[in-house]
Amino acid sequence: MGIGSIIRRAAACACLVSSMAMIGHADAAEKHKIFLSMSFIGNDWQAEAANMVKAMAAHKNYADKVDLQVQVAGPNAQRQIQQINAMVQAGAEAIVIFPISPTALNQVVKNACDKGVKVFAYDGEITEPCAYNIAIDQEEAGRVTAEWLVKKLNGKGNIIAITGVPGTSVDNLRTKAAKEVFAKHPDIKIVGEAVGMWSQAVARTELSKILATRNWDDINGLWMQVGCFTANSMQLEAGKKPEQLLPCAGEGSNGGRIQMLPAGTEAEGATPPYAPMGAPRISYASPPYSGALALKLAVDAIEGKEVPKKTVLPLPLVTNETIKLCQEGTWQEMKDGCNAFKPSIVSNPGWFASIFSEKTPEIGLNAALVGQPEN
Amino acid sequence: MTITTSTATSRNWTSLFSMSPERRSVLIAIAVFLGLLGLVDFVSSGPLSYFDISFLSSGGATSAIAAIGQTIVVLSGGFDLSAGAVISLVNVVLAQGMDPAAAQTSVVYWTCVGIGVGMLTGAFNGIFIAFFRLQPIVVTLSTMFIIQGLTLLVMDKPGGFVAPDLGTFYLGDAIPGWLPMPLVVIGVVLLAWLWLKNTRFGTAIYAVGSDPDAAAAIGVRVKLTKFLVYVIAGGCYGLAGVFISAQTGSADPLVGNPLLLSMFAAVVVGGTRLGGGRGGPLGTVFGAYILMMVVNILLVLNVSAYYSTIAEGTILILAVLAGSISYSSTLAKQLRSAQAQFSAWRQGLLPSQLDRTDRRMKMPSSAEGKPVVSSFLSRNSETIRYALPAYLCLLAVVIVTQLWLGRAILNPTYWNSLAVLSTFLAILALGQGTVILTGGLDLSVPWTIGIAGILLAGIVNGSDAALVYALPAVLLIACLIGFINGVGIVVLGISPIVMTLAMNGILQGFALVYSQGTPAGFSSPMLRWFMTGKIWTVTPVVPFMVLFVVAAVFLLGRTAFGRRVYGIGNGLRAAQLSGIAVGRTLILVYVLSGLCAGLVGVLLTGFSGQASLGMGDDYLLPSIAVVVVGGALITGGRGHYLGMLGGVLLLTALQMFLAGTTLPYATRAILFGLVVLGAVMALREKRS
Repeated sequence: MGIGSIIRRAAACACLVSSMAMIGHADAAEKHKIFLSMSFIGNDWQAEAANMVKAMAAHKNYADKVDLQVQVAGPNAQRQIQQINAMVQAGAEAIVIFPISPTALNQVVKNACDKGVKVFAYDGEITEPCAYNIAIDQEEAGRVTAEWLVKKLNGKGNIIAITGVPGTSVDNLRTKAAKEVFAKHPDIKIVGEAVGMWSQAVARTELSKILATRNWDDINGLWMQVGCFTANSMQLEAGKKPEQLLPCAGEGSNGGRIQMLPAGTEAEGATPPYAPMGAPRISYASPPYSGALALKLAVDAIEGKEVPKKTVLPLPLVTNETIKLCQEGTWQEMKDGCNAFKPSIVSNPGWFASIFSEKTPEIGLNAALVGQPEN
Repeated sequence: MTITTSTATSRNWTSLFSMSPERRSVLIAIAVFLGLLGLVDFVSSGPLSYFDISFLSSGGATSAIAAIGQTIVVLSGGFDLSAGAVISLVNVVLAQGMDPAAAQTSVVYWTCVGIGVGMLTGAFNGIFIAFFRLQPIVVTLSTMFIIQGLTLLVMDKPGGFVAPDLGTFYLGDAIPGWLPMPLVVIGVVLLAWLWLKNTRFGTAIYAVGSDPDAAAAIGVRVKLTKFLVYVIAGGCYGLAGVFISAQTGSADPLVGNPLLLSMFAAVVVGGTRLGGGRGGPLGTVFGAYILMMVVNILLVLNVSAYYSTIAEGTILILAVLAGSISYSSTLAKQLRSAQAQFSAWRQGLLPSQLDRTDRRMKMPSSAEGKPVVSSFLSRNSETIRYALPAYLCLLAVVIVTQLWLGRAILNPTYWNSLAVLSTFLAILALGQGTVILTGGLDLSVPWTIGIAGILLAGIVNGSDAALVYALPAVLLIACLIGFINGVGIVVLGISPIVMTLAMNGILQGFALVYSQGTPAGFSSPMLRWFMTGKIWTVTPVVPFMVLFVVAAVFLLGRTAFGRRVYGIGNGLRAAQLSGIAVGRTLILVYVLSGLCAGLVGVLLTGFSGQASLGMGDDYLLPSIAVVVVGGALITGGRGHYLGMLGGVLLLTALQMFLAGTTLPYATRAILFGLVVLGAVMALREKRS
């Protein structure tokens, strides 16, 4: 049994105890009733974000102030509408939402605002003006990563693009911005494009399909919303040496970050392909701490502090120049600049590593893994 | 038979248990709904106000209206997978068509536009299903892809503008303080149905759904009826699309898609039998509201997020079970038969306890003159006829790939990739295909895959040694999942769709609780090599795949189990009377499906290197599609595994071709739908 699972277990117990303690205090009168309405819980990002929100609510600064209830609506916008209505009826002071759709919730959100409920959307956006939005600039994400790739290829080469979920505004903004950059460089050619659904597993299937009729040698670079870790693994399987890996602009998964570390770096628990190999990368992400920050801002708003309607999070960018391995993953350590976690602690390479924010000293690695706040 | 006599003898009783089954299940759906409403009222603070009722009524209206359309299709013996996509299409068409600057918007006009768009898509479905005699499930699946593509062409991201007038009308009050408008809309649709039901056409729908041949024999125009059913259903989806546009005030190209599965659940919870001929939209409306109320129940009970799908699945099963409690329910019958069996065993009267003399009928021996062995072609003509089109289409796709992208036919990597990528669907096709052969459907495939992958990665954690015990353990669990599905369907008499849909939700919950949201561990090197390594140019999984196909053909074609499966699919009652242990075989069929899904979970983990939540989500609809494209009949009884394999190879080759191009996703979806439709056109049943 690895250290990771021991920590995990201990923390899970701690969580249980603390949540029991919370039940004990639940009827303390001055607590703010806040609801979290998640859309879908069946993927890693969502679960990680939910853990961080829970950790924030359990932190000693908030445990006495906040009564947080987490609910899942599933992928169905209709149900999220009904859920938000029910939350308003149940006396919510604030509702933190991962919106299924940026537009479908507008009416119900407006209705909630009219009743004095503060509505905070994280990661996705709600276009209703009364809602508070906390997210990165998706266009910037698409543009910056595409520019990096163009520069890395000296403005010339064949690339493959793996996009996200078609029909969502996040995918639309990122892909469009990136394609605008590529269009400015006529020698950059997109030779294959596939829908990656923001999943490493789908990225592998789609890349395998593309490579059935192409060779790795015909390709010079990769632009992916999620999947660089997988693309690097596939190149190794195809017999490439680590120093021959193609430049890849893509997601902030921990697997990808570990691969970016110079070959030979000591990283406990590393086994190829989840190992340091100096892969040429730029890594960006929609950071999963946004929900926790939304909760924090919601409490501020309830307490009457001034909160801007739109919080644009700094885009977490990591390149081979800035990559650094964390020893424990405390907030303080991440503040000092580390941004990748040992495989022995984070055994899932698809796990999202962009969990640091200046604004959330309450939560560190354990928050993202098991929902336990920093001390 | 027993039902009619018991109704006849007890005509004077007004007891719940002596009613016709459909009326009883409607009443029970209403009772369950009122019970849930009461629960919400009891647990939440303060009594239910008019506003609560108003919110609830608008929340469930879209799915209720759409589910009414689906019910009518199901009554006629059909199946419509395009429903969710039509809702999205109407939503974007309305938002794109409306002029934000216009001061006044005509509610009537835009409602007609929405219903019209819906009816057009319905007519498209209807033409292929009624006049070209294609299977509803595959036609509507193709239409679903085509419509999703069209929707993205109209609007590639959420946005747009729907006039507030529409919202004011549809979400307002019919009688302020008393009657919210959504209820009136649903009421109007139901009244229209009541009128329709009592016309000749209404009777025709039930007749066609019960037995199309009998209906045709008594002069019902079966084709026209089927066509109109899809048009009417399309109109309902259109109206649902109008309603969701009014409710959200804007458009989202993905808004309708997730409504699809819950729509079927609503139909079944409302007491309509899949396969046709029994039930009605009234129960469906309550079914839809029951499913919507679950959201409120979870909130008032403060069920933790990880457990919500488990709670939902359990509620679904309980609601259906409650609807079937009666003397004639499957569970009661099973208990009675078990009792009878037990007493027979005590008296020593069971066939197995009697003396084993040969009671078989004496047949004249066929010693004189050998039986004429017909040629291979004529013996297998039917199989070939249904399996061939998929292979011909596959050939066409490969040639197009060669011409367009080059490097296909003579490129071993191409064929190797095709084989490896086909593995997952080919294995699923055996499980799903066998279930479909018996006339069922397994919707628990996605999270059986998911939980198998997550468990395997978690236990193995990169160690080859652990694989030795992890692999059997995981496959055993997958079998157990299938076994529970089978028991629910056979012993408790729950419809396969509901049982497996609920199981899927429950498994999702278990996967989340087990992994705490982040699946740990990764595949062992051996498993990864098996899926991604190379011996010369061949990935090790490919020979395994060949063995699997041989075994699958043998299992379905040459074993007693295979013959029983076909027997059940061709006629449950006939199979029972000819001495097939129907219950046991059905349970085995679901165990097989569970096993196949579990195996896919394991292989996918090896392929990706790790497991992830939702890794099986993309395999549900394709697993059904390949089975049908390969020539199997969704109502059971017909289909050959080699045909399904052809379907798998065709769809995979098509996706490989599309991935190699740089066509936009919308165009790809439309092309995909058209090719599937074209493939099944060739499967058309000739007029007998």
